[in-house]
Amino acid sequence: MTTTESTPTNSGPALTRRALLGRMGVLAGATAIGPALLAACGSDDDSVDSGGGGGSSKALWFENWPAYIDEETVALFAKESGLDFNYTEGFNDNAAWFAKNQRLLADKKSVGPDIVAPTYWMVARLINLGWVQELPLDAIPNAANLVPSLQKPGWDPTGAFSLPWQSGMTGIAYNRSVTGRDLTSMADIFDPELKGKIGMLTEWRDTVGLTMLLLGADPSTATLASAGPALDKIEEAAKSGQIRQFTGNDYMDDLASGNFAACVGWSGDISQLALDNPDVRFAIPEEGGMQWSDTMILPAGAENVDNAATWMNYVYDPENAARITAYVGYNPPVVGVQEILAAGSDEEKALAESPLLFPDEATLARLHVFASLDEDAESGFEERFATIIGA
Amino acid sequence: MAGEEDQTRRSGGAVPYALLSPGMLWLILFFLVPLGTLFKTSLSTKPSRFIPELSFSWRIANYTDALDKYSEQFIRSFVYAGAATLLCIAIGYPVAYVIATRGGRFKNVLLGLVVVPFFTSFLIRTLAWQNVLSDNGPAVGLLDHLHLMGLLDALGVAVDGRLLATHAAVIGGLTYNFLPFMILPIYVSLEKIDLRLTEAAKDLYNNGWQAFRRVVLPLSMPGVFAGSLLTFIPAAGDFINAQFLGSPRNSMIGSVVQNRFLEQGDTPTAAALSFILMAIITAGTLIYAKVLGTDDLI
Amino acid sequence: MGRERAPEAALGRLGRWSLTSVAVAGFVFLFIPIAGIIAFSFNDPAGKFNIVWSGFTLDNWRDPFKPGPLTDAMFLSLRVAAIASAVATILGSLIAIALVRYRFRGGTLINLMLVLPLTTPEIVMGSSLATLFFDVGVDKSIQTVIIAHVLFCTSFVALTVKARIRGFDWSLEDAAMDLGAPPWRTFSRITLPLITPGILAAALLSFALSIDDFIITLFNAGPTDETFPLRIYSASKVELPAQIDVLAAIILLASVAILLVGTMFRRRQT
Repeated sequence: MTTTESTPTNSGPALTRRALLGRMGVLAGATAIGPALLAACGSDDDSVDSGGGGGSSKALWFENWPAYIDEETVALFAKESGLDFNYTEGFNDNAAWFAKNQRLLADKKSVGPDIVAPTYWMVARLINLGWVQELPLDAIPNAANLVPSLQKPGWDPTGAFSLPWQSGMTGIAYNRSVTGRDLTSMADIFDPELKGKIGMLTEWRDTVGLTMLLLGADPSTATLASAGPALDKIEEAAKSGQIRQFTGNDYMDDLASGNFAACVGWSGDISQLALDNPDVRFAIPEEGGMQWSDTMILPAGAENVDNAATWMNYVYDPENAARITAYVGYNPPVVGVQEILAAGSDEEKALAESPLLFPDEATLARLHVFASLDEDAESGFEERFATIIGA
Repeated sequence: MAGEEDQTRRSGGAVPYALLSPGMLWLILFFLVPLGTLFKTSLSTKPSRFIPELSFSWRIANYTDALDKYSEQFIRSFVYAGAATLLCIAIGYPVAYVIATRGGRFKNVLLGLVVVPFFTSFLIRTLAWQNVLSDNGPAVGLLDHLHLMGLLDALGVAVDGRLLATHAAVIGGLTYNFLPFMILPIYVSLEKIDLRLTEAAKDLYNNGWQAFRRVVLPLSMPGVFAGSLLTFIPAAGDFINAQFLGSPRNSMIGSVVQNRFLEQGDTPTAAALSFILMAIITAGTLIYAKVLGTDDLI
Repeated sequence: MGRERAPEAALGRLGRWSLTSVAVAGFVFLFIPIAGIIAFSFNDPAGKFNIVWSGFTLDNWRDPFKPGPLTDAMFLSLRVAAIASAVATILGSLIAIALVRYRFRGGTLINLMLVLPLTTPEIVMGSSLATLFFDVGVDKSIQTVIIAHVLFCTSFVALTVKARIRGFDWSLEDAAMDLGAPPWRTFSRITLPLITPGILAAALLSFALSIDDFIITLFNAGPTDETFPLRIYSASKVELPAQIDVLAAIILLASVAILLVGTMFRRRQT
């Protein structure tokens, strides 16, 4: 407990207690707010750098999707190029990234990273809005190695703004130990026997696209009207409890834990997951599957354009592309990868023959890319799908 | 009580205002002003989905449309939050009571143990529940073993033999996450009750239960009230539990606001929804206060 | 009277027994996920998601703070919490002292404004602050996160400290002043020690609130600022490394340790 002061003399200046407390209050307040204000004024770390030409700095920042690169390439590139390479994996949702960075992009300010790799439809939107810088293709000679089917694609008709990172296929991912059988069609997804153990993607172009194929419609020319029946079918399945969850990449943990018997999923995820869990399988539905690409772009305001070109050139070298693809299990956008893997170790040979990484002509013929939509159509789909997922 | 305090309080002239100003300025600047801009946003339109521009147009339709479209989520949110609050009272009151009356020397340790789980992240705890309740997890396994799954199915707690993606899972998650916010206020108000009062009451009523009902319970009402507010209000606006433990059929209004704001970029609707939520909560709080007879909120 | 009490006493015992069981069940309930977290921190996950038990290992514990986004996020959270709770404690304590020790106009209004942030759903606070920043053209960053945290912590601190110091016997202060002690001495020797436990408790509370905050931070963090909860949320979509459980277990053990030390310290004082 405290003891009271025993010396009675009042030797200090003629401060009244009130004044003292008052001064202390103001002082304390200033001490509290001061640093906060200073911190707010000063530039702590990132974001608000004034954009400017790209050259003299040795920095480069690529923000990619998680689990989308092998363990060596980043270090190898940093060593070979001598650049100060920052590779982060914070990009995990196109729409959320867009909403967060909307203001910065519109003001042509740097969003932080120099390179990001959104999904093709987001790239289309960004290009239309003028929020992407042109790639310095002269500095990327290896861009000539781009697979022909991805040259001048629908989302980037001039090919001047983007270079694909990886492509992939969307189909049915399932856990054979839960389903008890092999699944072959989207009809299995809607099978009442699997009620409550089905997942679908929040990436609605994939979900709606596959359902459209099931109903005989063509997603590559989709309109809100032509997709109507598919949307209705999905909505009904959600309401009845057939569909347990609409997920992003996190379907993998539900699949592995047995919460999902089957779900709409992506080829590369499953080829990675299947390594740990052979019960997990992937199938392109008989009626057809969807194809997509995650594509590297330079957002408006990105600074280190030349360094970005160095990176892109590096990953478009077939040797490096092969190393990356071998790990992530998706479809490489670079010509020559299959040959390199076929000449490699046994593991790599197996990958070279994998239909998931290198689908044959027949499979490719069954794949579709979702139609490019204008703002109104896109809005319509977004709103309808948001209602379906309960948001 | 107020009168007693007044006697010890000094009239300090400008001093109290000096003490108050930094904090209150912060609140005004970062709480009231934003609410104002949010209100303005709720009456605006956003012409383009992609361009971050708003135009203020007194658009009341934002509110009516929002109520119309999302009434299901609103109702569900309040039902879930209400159920969670009642469960928190049912579990939390006994815990608080036992600590207050039987805790003895260990009161503080026990209280600490109530709070300690909450130093881990809210998300980790919810993910842990997702793990525990998963289809092949320990909870389902145990219930299957005890043959209780059928009963739970019949009661509507489980659905088709699973615990996740159900109303119960979301309500359970909400209950868990806000339990300490119920226990602590109830404990505080129970602790203030003079033990001699309870002894006297027991003698008077000749019955422990009556003594409790007539004396202890009413005196602990402020704690129950505070705890209910601290539970119901955040629960009503939550979306994490619904997202991790529920299905699209269990979505709450928080999920809608988050989607509108962070994914669709539809700030006017998100703002309108926020105000509707606040209005309903404020009205509910006032009614609750009347019913309980607790006017002294603080 | 004795005879009438017997069945009542039995009922009373039954009632007491069931009351205690419910209380114990409540405690068990509180710790179920904690047990899960600690257990799974020793798991050797088969894949990227630490959700199915597949083997015991101590490996996860060997380097819990290994460099990586999770550790960075953890330290960011600690930094933000330290700054935010420091500022909030000062602001809130000043408000509490003013409210308890002084009579002035507008007390009810102040009280109301303090309670409002507590009764506002986090989603509303988060989105309104984000809208303010959006409108004014301030980019979201660590600073905006700290501002948001100070906001809700100040209310908590003010109300907590107020509740703690309300019933105090201030005559000690008056006595000291009467005896001629200079104001600073009065404050530091008498007032401060009296109110310090309350302030510390409030500071601790706001530190915990800040570390754990998710919704408000989600709305107000810059695109590349990830606090611990934000990192878990975004990472959980693709992986759930055992490191999360290890870090959580470490936090738990640390807080239990602080709790026990604090209790022993207080016992020794009295």
